[in-house]
Amino acid sequence: MLFQDLILKLHEYWGGYGCVISEPYDTEVGAGTFYPTTFLKALGPEPWKTAYVAPSRRPQDGRYGENPYRFQYYFQYQVIIKPSPTDVQDLYLDSLRAIGIKVEDHDVRFVEDNWESPTLGAWGLGWEVWLDGMEITQFTYFQQVGGVDVNPVSVEITYGLERMALYLQNKKHTFDVEYAPGVTIGDIRRDFELEHCEYNFKYANVEKVRRWFDDYEEEARRLLELELIHPAYEFVLKASHAFNLLDARGVLGHAERQAYVQRVRRLAEATARAYLKKHYPEVAG
Amino acid sequence: MNLLFEIGTEELPAAYVPRALADLARLAAERLAAARLGFEAIETYATPRRLALVVRGLPEASARVEEERRGPPEKAAFKDGEPTPAAAGFARKAGVEVADLTVKDGYVWARVVHEGQPTTSLLPELLAGLVRDLPAPKKMIWGAGDGPFVRPVRWLVARLDGEVLPVEVFNVSSGKTSRGHRFLAPGEVEVDAETYRNALYDAYVVADVSQRRQRVVLETTTLALSEGLEAVMPEDLIEEVTHLVEWPVAVMGSFSRKYLELPDEVLATVMIQHQRFFPVRAGERLSNRFIGVSGHQPPDLDVVRAGYEQVLEGRIYDAYFFWTEDLKTPLAEHHKKLAGINFQRGLGTMADKTERVRRAAEKLGGRLGLDEGVLREAAALFKADLPTQMVYEFPELEGIMARAYGEKQGLDPRVARVLEDAVRPRGPDAPLPETPEGALLAALDRADTLLGFFHLGKKPSGSADPYGLRRAAAGLVRILGRMGWDLPLEAVLEAAAEAYRDRGLDVSPDVAQAARAFIEERLESLLTEAGLPTLAVRAAQKAPSVYGKMLRARLVYELMQRPEFAELTRLYKRAANLASQGESTREPDPELFETEEEKKLHAAVQPTREAVEELLQRGSELLPPWDPAAPLPKADLTPLEGPLAQILALAGALDPFMDHVLVMVDDAAVRENRLALLRGVRDALGELGALELLGA
Repeated sequence: MLFQDLILKLHEYWGGYGCVISEPYDTEVGAGTFYPTTFLKALGPEPWKTAYVAPSRRPQDGRYGENPYRFQYYFQYQVIIKPSPTDVQDLYLDSLRAIGIKVEDHDVRFVEDNWESPTLGAWGLGWEVWLDGMEITQFTYFQQVGGVDVNPVSVEITYGLERMALYLQNKKHTFDVEYAPGVTIGDIRRDFELEHCEYNFKYANVEKVRRWFDDYEEEARRLLELELIHPAYEFVLKASHAFNLLDARGVLGHAERQAYVQRVRRLAEATARAYLKKHYPEVAG
Repeated sequence: MNLLFEIGTEELPAAYVPRALADLARLAAERLAAARLGFEAIETYATPRRLALVVRGLPEASARVEEERRGPPEKAAFKDGEPTPAAAGFARKAGVEVADLTVKDGYVWARVVHEGQPTTSLLPELLAGLVRDLPAPKKMIWGAGDGPFVRPVRWLVARLDGEVLPVEVFNVSSGKTSRGHRFLAPGEVEVDAETYRNALYDAYVVADVSQRRQRVVLETTTLALSEGLEAVMPEDLIEEVTHLVEWPVAVMGSFSRKYLELPDEVLATVMIQHQRFFPVRAGERLSNRFIGVSGHQPPDLDVVRAGYEQVLEGRIYDAYFFWTEDLKTPLAEHHKKLAGINFQRGLGTMADKTERVRRAAEKLGGRLGLDEGVLREAAALFKADLPTQMVYEFPELEGIMARAYGEKQGLDPRVARVLEDAVRPRGPDAPLPETPEGALLAALDRADTLLGFFHLGKKPSGSADPYGLRRAAAGLVRILGRMGWDLPLEAVLEAAAEAYRDRGLDVSPDVAQAARAFIEERLESLLTEAGLPTLAVRAAQKAPSVYGKMLRARLVYELMQRPEFAELTRLYKRAANLASQGESTREPDPELFETEEEKKLHAAVQPTREAVEELLQRGSELLPPWDPAAPLPKADLTPLEGPLAQILALAGALDPFMDHVLVMVDDAAVRENRLALLRGVRDALGELGALELLGA
C-alpha cells in the first residue's frame, strides 16, 4: 500500500466512523497532541471526534537520515474520540483491517505504555500497540491535559505512519517507502531532512532562539490577558518549538533544560485554564 | 457453594497483574470475613484481559452471632430505678427495648443479635467493593467518567453456582459469560466456578497463571533445544512475557550473523529491553537466534517470525551503528567529552567528578595495597563510556561498554574489567564490584556524590530522594562492607572531601560529618532489615570501618541472645558513666586497692580484654566480609562460646564492685585508682561497641 493510500484509507475509515477529518495545522509541533484540536478540545464536557495527519517536528530526533526510523520530521496519524467509546479497541483493530492488515494473521498486542508530556502538563494511561513486535500505535486515555483533570475522557490513537508503511511495504528504511507511484519518501524529504538536521544541530542561532523563546512566552502571556486563547496557544507552540531547538543544539544543562520545560508547562496550563474559564465557566469553577 | 467472579478488562499492565492477584485474594478474604461468610479456599486467575477469583465452600448464609454490648454506667442509666434518656438512647442504638437491658459490673448491657443473611444478597455489593477498592499504583477513568480502575473494565462475570449475581460497578453489569481469545475465539463463553478454567482453555485462554508460565518456559526451552541451543530466560522476563499473552506460542527467529560482533550484553539488552525476546545461547556465547512468545497462533507463524526478525534486525542495526561509530574514537577521547556532561550545578561536570574520584583513589589505593598501575589507568578512563552513543541509548550498558570498547581497542584486560566493575552495584540488590580497584572507584564515586549534594544542602527529607542519595549511600556501605577493608568510613569521606578542596570547593567537616551519619543510617537500615536488632547496630557504629561495624553488630547480637547479657550491660552502663568522670589516664595501681572487690575486678579485666580480642578475631574468621544488603551469613558460631562466656563472666566481678565499693571517695588517690579500674573495664568491652546504649 502506498504511503498516501495509507492516509486516504485511514481518513475513509475514521471519517466513516464520524470523525471530523481535519487538515494539518500550520505551526511547528512536536506531536499531534499539541494540535489545538486535541489539546484544547480534550478539555471541557462536549463530545468530540476528529482524525488528522500531524506532521511533527522533533529537532533532537534527527539522524541525518542515517537511522531508518528516526527523523526530525515525520507524520503521525492522530485520532481523538471523546468520550472514549466502550468498543474503542475493536474500532482500532478494524482500522488496521481497513488498511489491509489482517490482524488475525499477526501477533497484535497492547503493551502497557503510560504517556506523559511534561511540557503540556498532560498525562494518560494506555498502551503501545505491537504488530509482530513492531510498535505501530500509541493508544492513550487522557487523564490530565494542561494540568486539568479531564472528564469525560478522550482516547487518543496515534499511528506511526512511517513505521506502518515500512512494515506494509517490507522496506528497511523510511526513505525507501513508496509515497506515491514511483516516488519515495526519500525523494520528497531527504534534502529537507539533511538541511534541517544541519540547522537544528549546528546552525540554529542560539542567542536568537533564546530571545525568540522569551518573546513568544511574553506574547502568549499578553494574549492570555486579552482572553485571545487560540492566538496565545499558538505562541505556546512556538515557544515549545524554540525550546526543542535549543535542546537539539545541546546548549541546555540539565537544570536549565528543566527550567525551560517548566516555563512551557506553565504557559500550557495557563492556556488550559483560560480556555475553560472563557468557554466553560461552569466547569472551570 | 462456589463463587466465580471475573473482572474483564482492556489489557492490564504486565507488571501489575501479580500484585493485583495477591491484593484481590487478600481483599476478598478480608471482606468475606467481615461479612461473616466462611469459605474453604480462594483461587485466583489472570490474563492480560482479566482478573478472576474462585471462592469455594461458601455457606448459604452468613453466620448468626450474638453480641453483648456495653452501654453507659448504671448510675447514669437509671435514676431512682427509672431509665434515663441515656439508657433509652443506648437501647435505641442497639436495637433493643429498654426493658431488655441488663445490669452487670456497674454497667448497662444489651444483647444484640446479628441474624445471618443470605449469601446471594451479601455478595453483589461485596464484589462491587472489590472492584472499587482493589489497590493500584496508578488508576484511570474512562468514557464519561467511569472508574477508576487500572484499565477500563469491560465485562463482569459473577456466579454463585449456577446463579448470576447482579453486580453493578462503573456502569458495567455482571453476566454469566466471559470472553475468549481476541482472535482465536472472539466471542462470549459461558463460565462458572466449575467450568472456568477448562471453558477458557477451550477458547484459547490459559487463565491459570502458573500453567501459562510453565507453558512459556516449556515452549521456549524445547524450541531452543530442538536446534541444540539453550534459551536464556531471566526470571523477570519470563514473568513479564507470561502476563503479556493469553495463549503463548514460542517463535524462533534469527538475525544477521555479522551482528555477533556485538558483545552479548548489547544483543541481550536489545532483545529483552525492546522486544521482550529471549536470547538463545550456543555454548558460552549467544547465537544469532532469538525466541519471541506470540500471544496468538495465527494460520502461518512464518508471518509473525518475519515480522519479529525485521523489527529486531532494525533494532540491532541501530546498536551496531552505535558500536562502529563509538569504536572510531579511542576511549581516552570519549573520556574528554565528559566535560560536556553536567554532573550537578555547583559541582561541575562529569569530567570534574571523575577527576575528583581519580585524586581520591590515588590517595587511598596505596593504603589498601591495590594494584596502583591498574588503578591509575582505570581511574583516568572512569566513565569514559558515558558520552558514547550506545550508553546514551542504553544507559544500563554503562560500564559494560567501557569494558567492551576498551578490550576492542587493546586496553589491558585487567583495566577493562575494573571499568566494568566500577559502576556496580546498579541497583539495591544488584551484584557488587569484584575487583578491589573497581570497588574503590565505585565507593569514591558515591562518596563524591553524597558529599557534593550535602554540601549544596540537598539532603533528602522525608521519603523524597530526587538525587538518589539513599541509593548511593546504600551502595557505598555495601561495597565497603563486602570488601572488608580496614578503612575508616571517615577516611573515605575525607579523601573525597580533600579532592573537592583540591578543586576549589570547600566541603566543611560538618558536611562530612552529616554525610557520615546519613551513610551509617543506611547501614543500620540494611542490617536491621537483615534481622539484626537496631540497638546492636547502633552500638556497633562506634567501630571505624564498615565491616568492623557489621561484624560487631553481629557479635553484639550474639551476646544479646544470652540472658546474662542484660545484667552485664546494666552494670557496664553505670561503670562507663563513672569512668568518664576520671581525670588521669593512669593504669590502676594494685597497691592502692583496699577491698577484695577491687582486686577481683582488676583480675577480671585482662581476661575480658583478651576474650573480646579473641571474639573479634574468631568472629572475623567465621563471618568474613559480606554484603549488608544480603541475608546475614550463616555460620556455625560454636567456636565463639568460650570468649562469649568469658565476657559474660565479667558481671560476676563487676556486680560486687558496683554494689559495695564507693568510687567517689574523698581520698583523691583512691578515687582516681578506682576510676582507672573502671576505665579498664570500659575500654575492654568498649572495643565491641557502645554497649552503654544497651544498658537499661
